Amino acid sequence: MTLGARTLRSLAQSRRYLSTTRTLPSAQYTDPTKRHDIAIVSTPEDLPPSERHVLDSALRVDQAGEVAANWIYRGQMAVLGRDPNTGPIIQDMWDQEKKHIAVMNQMQVQHQVRPTVLWEVAKVAGFGLGAVTALMGKEAAMACTEAVETVIGEHYDDQLREMEGLSTSHPSIPLLKDVIREFRDDELEHLDTAVENHSQRAPAHALLSTVVGAGCKVAIELCKRF
Amino acid sequence: MASPPLLRAACALVPTHGFTRRALALSALSLPQPHEQPLSDTAINALFGEGDDARRTLADAWLENAREEVRGRFQGRAQVPRVNEVLEARLEANEPVLRHLPEAFALLASPTYPLPPLDPRPGLKHAFKVADDACRIAGEATIGTDWYVRRGTLAAIYAAAELHQLTSPTTAYAFLDTLLAASATAKSSLDDVGTFANYIARSWAGIVRSSGVF
Repeated sequence: MTLGARTLRSLAQSRRYLSTTRTLPSAQYTDPTKRHDIAIVSTPEDLPPSERHVLDSALRVDQAGEVAANWIYRGQMAVLGRDPNTGPIIQDMWDQEKKHIAVMNQMQVQHQVRPTVLWEVAKVAGFGLGAVTALMGKEAAMACTEAVETVIGEHYDDQLREMEGLSTSHPSIPLLKDVIREFRDDELEHLDTAVENHSQRAPAHALLSTVVGAGCKVAIELCKRF
Repeated sequence: MASPPLLRAACALVPTHGFTRRALALSALSLPQPHEQPLSDTAINALFGEGDDARRTLADAWLENAREEVRGRFQGRAQVPRVNEVLEARLEANEPVLRHLPEAFALLASPTYPLPPLDPRPGLKHAFKVADDACRIAGEATIGTDWYVRRGTLAAIYAAAELHQLTSPTTAYAFLDTLLAASATAKSSLDDVGTFANYIARSWAGIVRSSGVF
């Protein structure tokens, strides 16, 4: 694992230790009683165009990433769903991703972001990747999860750094940063789960991780623009 | 984003003078601190572009102005408008300049360079922007591919209604309503077809699975 990912993992663990008693930031989006909160229904109007573009492409990529992650897990479940050991683990991770995509969809509507044109491509590619790696074996499926979650964790971190520069006092932006931090920690938790479930034992682990990681990075760059 | 004061003044003159360089020239006379003379040709060339490019700038600015007008009309309202109302409001914004609009669209479609002979892109972008605004004002919560499908259909409907308005302004609103109702019926029919096809496919999958082939 790269040095960056190891640092991120230790950060995530310390944050999880500190935050066990707090409610999650994404609860503001999933809680039905908070549906009319200004931080959830409106978008900042006073952003200059360059920063608005940063916000737009960040949310577009995040939404596309969550769609792809959902369909990767769906593909893995289609093959490994009946496995008594791995099935429940993948199902748990998939349920968390379902929560992520629900929040991301609400944010797309809230900030009036154009979703990616590659929406259907993300679905098909995700399903294909999940199914193919699951057919290669349980460890390969975990290795795929490990590679994808590493890239996503680093990507969310980069986004948080980009969003430091947003110059508005609208309450939705701090909430957005908190939600992305929470999702980053969730993805790193999935990374831990994958490693604990012997992803490193997968055949041709280095090659698989490199290919999947490179594919994810290409996908991220494409979704930022399209 | 507000257009510069000169362009805004020129847009106010379009109903009387059309999308011409004359409107641009006279815009200087209706500024808060008006000039003595209308703008000279060289000034217009420098500010807005040579020849027909200046008229294209004016046409673009007028379209942007109309979008802002529609947005402003629905800004403070407590009740969220429907897409029908927003598109009707946009058609109403066309009425003062209706006889000059065909020329404006012709200008936008005609090229600055010899090739391609006709450029459909500005017209399509205009229809798409109107549809996008309408969806935002009406607070539509479409996700993913639906976002594009919804805006594509609304853009096509609006473009058809606008073309209808250019030749027959009084019946344009009824035409717009008919088109929107037809698109809603078409969407619900397609959804029904999808549900039924899904049901049939699942039945067949069950039959194949139970036939013992696999």
